[in-house]
Amino acid sequence: MADRKGFAENLKKYAVTYLFIAISVFFIIVSKLDMNYVCSQLLLRLNRNAFIVLALIIPIVAGMGINFAITIGAMAAQIGLLLTINWGVTGFTGILLAAGITLPLGLLFGFLIGKMLNKMKGQETIGSMILGYFANGAYQLLFLFIFGNIIPLNKNVTIVGATGVQNTLNLTGDTGLYKAVDGILALPFFTAVWILCGALAAWSVIQFIRKKYNQKKLIVNLSLSAVISLLYVFPDIRAVFDGSKGGRVITVPVITWVIILMLCVFNSLIMKTKLGQKFRAVGQNRTVANASGINVNRTRLIAIMISTVLAGWGQILFMQSEGIGTFQTYAAHEQVGLYAGAAILVGGASIDRATNWQALLGTFLFHSLFITAQNAASNLFGDSVIGEYFRAFLSYGVIALALVLYAWKGAQKRKPGNELKGAVKN
Amino acid sequence: MTKNSAGKTSLSRRILSIVLFTVAAVLLIVSIGGYIIQGTAGTKAQLNTMRTRAVLHAASGGLVDQIAEAANASALKEIRKDPNFRSMGTNEIQRRKDEVVAKARAEAEALYAVPENVDNDTIEQKISVLEEALLERDEIMSREKEAYASVFTSVTERVSGWVAITEGKTPDEIWNAMTAACPELGSHAELKEGMISMAGQMAQKEAEDAAKEEAETGTDDASAEISEDSMSSAAEVDYTWFVASGALNTASEKAEEKYADLWAELCNVIPDLATLDDKTCESVRTDIQSIIASADESFNIRYKAYVSEKADEILKPEDAGKLRVVSNAENFLLLGIAVLLLALLYTFWKPVTRKMGVPRSIILLFFIYLLLTAQFYKININLMLGDILERVGMYGVLALAMLPGIQCGIGLNMGMTIGCISGLFAIVVSLQYNMTGAPALIFSLVLGILVAIPLGWAYSLLLNRMKGNEMTISTYVGFSFVSLMCIGWMALPFNNPKIIWMLAGHGLRVTHGLLGSFAHVLDRFLSFKIFGVTVPSGTVLFFLVCCLLIWIFSRSKLGIRMTAVGSNPRFAEASGINVDSMRTLGTVLSTVLAAIGIVIYSQSFGYAQLYNAPRQLGFIAASAILIGGATTKKASVGHVLIGVFLFEGVLCMGQQVANAAIAGGGLSEVMRIMISNGIILYALTQSGGDSRG
Repeated sequence: MADRKGFAENLKKYAVTYLFIAISVFFIIVSKLDMNYVCSQLLLRLNRNAFIVLALIIPIVAGMGINFAITIGAMAAQIGLLLTINWGVTGFTGILLAAGITLPLGLLFGFLIGKMLNKMKGQETIGSMILGYFANGAYQLLFLFIFGNIIPLNKNVTIVGATGVQNTLNLTGDTGLYKAVDGILALPFFTAVWILCGALAAWSVIQFIRKKYNQKKLIVNLSLSAVISLLYVFPDIRAVFDGSKGGRVITVPVITWVIILMLCVFNSLIMKTKLGQKFRAVGQNRTVANASGINVNRTRLIAIMISTVLAGWGQILFMQSEGIGTFQTYAAHEQVGLYAGAAILVGGASIDRATNWQALLGTFLFHSLFITAQNAASNLFGDSVIGEYFRAFLSYGVIALALVLYAWKGAQKRKPGNELKGAVKN
Repeated sequence: MTKNSAGKTSLSRRILSIVLFTVAAVLLIVSIGGYIIQGTAGTKAQLNTMRTRAVLHAASGGLVDQIAEAANASALKEIRKDPNFRSMGTNEIQRRKDEVVAKARAEAEALYAVPENVDNDTIEQKISVLEEALLERDEIMSREKEAYASVFTSVTERVSGWVAITEGKTPDEIWNAMTAACPELGSHAELKEGMISMAGQMAQKEAEDAAKEEAETGTDDASAEISEDSMSSAAEVDYTWFVASGALNTASEKAEEKYADLWAELCNVIPDLATLDDKTCESVRTDIQSIIASADESFNIRYKAYVSEKADEILKPEDAGKLRVVSNAENFLLLGIAVLLLALLYTFWKPVTRKMGVPRSIILLFFIYLLLTAQFYKININLMLGDILERVGMYGVLALAMLPGIQCGIGLNMGMTIGCISGLFAIVVSLQYNMTGAPALIFSLVLGILVAIPLGWAYSLLLNRMKGNEMTISTYVGFSFVSLMCIGWMALPFNNPKIIWMLAGHGLRVTHGLLGSFAHVLDRFLSFKIFGVTVPSGTVLFFLVCCLLIWIFSRSKLGIRMTAVGSNPRFAEASGINVDSMRTLGTVLSTVLAAIGIVIYSQSFGYAQLYNAPRQLGFIAASAILIGGATTKKASVGHVLIGVFLFEGVLCMGQQVANAAIAGGGLSEVMRIMISNGIILYALTQSGGDSRG
């Protein structure tokens, strides 16, 4: 009985995620796309977007909602990339340089964002979104009128005969930034899976020896890795990934994934530090946190600064892998916040709670919809444009839904009797 | 705050404001000094020397161009001789080519460097003769063109139905019909031939347009949204049928003659000029004439034109420096005014901001600055005021829609896009049934209101359940509704071929021109012309009447109860007011006003735009009312009136000034984004900073 009740509760709590799993499966079937195509696109989009989505977790835990101001982090990254291209630093060094420029810029911008958001507590979601819009104006001012005029740039990144930076910046060719991280080490899909499963098995055994895992957990983990590794023997499944029945060979950019996993580890480790405890305390209740001697504003400031820098690095990872190796100077950052925010909410996160797994699952689900929506719509309604609009609707709709659910929960909590009135100003 | 620290801050404030005033004074003095120096005879002489030099440089530049051109043509042949040619990429080839050309150009420039010991006086004298001739010609030409433009616009405005006028008529009949419609034309007999051929072309165009409308209105390239900035009040004048008068011809001939004189003299100085081919000759002539014809332009423009021909090389270094400073006198003046205003704001920061709030003070200051700058760039203030008035009428009701939302306590109603979509739906229905004119407008208004009421009601039920978070939720609910309706516009069963995609056969187009429907119906109602500006009285009156009605409502018992809920919900509840129903009333009212607003907006704009176009309207309306001095908790009709005028005024002037100051544009858009979002941010920091500790 208890189990069934638990399941019902779970279903209610993660209704959005289950709904999206259902829609994803439905869309994948309806779109009639080749599985090889879907999987390769999905993997590509996962390694592009996961980092940015993971950058949202800390502010959520610190009670600042979805930090749509990560667009500003993305702008910092684009400034870094522009300067890197301008100075002609190529390859992985170039990526490191761009990341190095992003760090101080991201910290500075994050500091400013944090200062603003501390003045609008309870309105951070909308506040950070409008901050993003505002910063977009400043960004255009910088790229159109300051770069190339006041700050001199090379001819190859400015518009000839007009002011400002070119509309598209090229990461391919001489600049050598395209796939500079992805391309370092790319393994075939199943090789990567085997390494991962081996690592999981080894980790489980170690944990078992250290007596952190019980027998049941060890057996589950070992058999899981065995089963996944052995999927290779089924030719149909193998064909999806190695392209032996047409399609492309799916490879895994190992370094990118190592970086993403490092961020996951960082996210969970930081929660165990003193700072992480502060994030949590502030996120749960600012009044109580303040009373127990935590500097609430400072803690929130740090959370946003970390998130902004991470978002910037995420944007660099995104750019180096994106499309055909060019980026739209004036538009590449615009949808970053929207898509990342929608993705993490799809994964089951809420305005005040998020984990690494939710971020990764959310990215996976959200992008599986993204890939299939157009074809699904054209098969269902005979019109692919509807799929495009449906995608946009999903992005906004899932955010609206999450906000409504959260506010509803808050309103119920605030009903007479549960109310926390006369909150101490911090 | 202790007395001591207060004294300190005021001291540092005082020092900073003195510094600011000093900087402003220095800038203003430099600029005035610059203007005085600009007027002195010595500077004028120097400028004339520069001009001579510039002319010489332009002439020798022709030779250099010719050589570079030749090098460019033969470069490829040279590169082909390279044994590695086949392995070269296009980039490599281009790079080599550029190298060869650059080398040839450098050599030619060294060869044809303007000689130092030229008999400047003869050339200068010839130049001033030519200048006179050119100025005379230009004056006559601009006078005649102006006259032509006025005739042209009045003909295109008054004559309609070109097909009917021209079909099967003799030229004389056409001419008579045109002069009958437009008596002004009668006094311009010289235009007869041109006007008749123009009538033919217009008729052809009209027929083509009609055919297009008939057969295939919606090709897919109509999907682009139209920007308001591209809206221009004056129609383009086509100078194809311009006929030069005898006087103009004589003047032109005279100018030609003088140019030939000058050219002969130049050939004396630089003998190789005789070897120029015709094409280069022609381009050199345009260059030289434009250098000389800039004589009546401002000092700065002349100076820049000469410097771009490297004429500053002839000056002594200290003179060159002086002239560079002097030529920037106008920039110093503008900067000086800006710093002065800033200093004033800083010095009187407290009294000013206490009364108006920080952003409004800044924007008011910016408004004043733009007004001054507009004077400076010779922007026609009357026309600009007309533009501002038009935009006030256009956006007024939309901004008014924010008011009931704030008054009833839901804050900035970003979900007013729901109302906008109701209004757009009504407009599209009116188009579906081919309605035109005032009935279409009235029908759209009524249907828009009818659709907005239930939607607004449903929306208010949602908002009543989540008090305290309305702005965030309304924004995203609004966005979601816009996206949902994107699918709706595609799927709704509209089938009038004029409004759907022709190729797909279903789905509404993005942009619908309302010229055939109710565009400007209200604008033209009671409209009159004053100081050359057409006042869109109907629209402005409509806006004012709406404001009046809302004002009367807020004075009524119901309105006072609603406002009480907004300003203090607990107190209102304690005194027996039903908070939820008052909030519902405000939300529905806001949604209805948004529906009315978008219909008025579309009739002013001349287009109805669907899909993603209404998404940002909530932000525009919110910024307008906030600039007017409203907060997220308190607002009045006065805030709407002031806000719309200030916001649209700053945007409109900013756009024109920015376009005048920096070519290429884009600055006005940046300004719009930053002002509009900045003011909303400010309001948010005021509202949410301290309450939820």
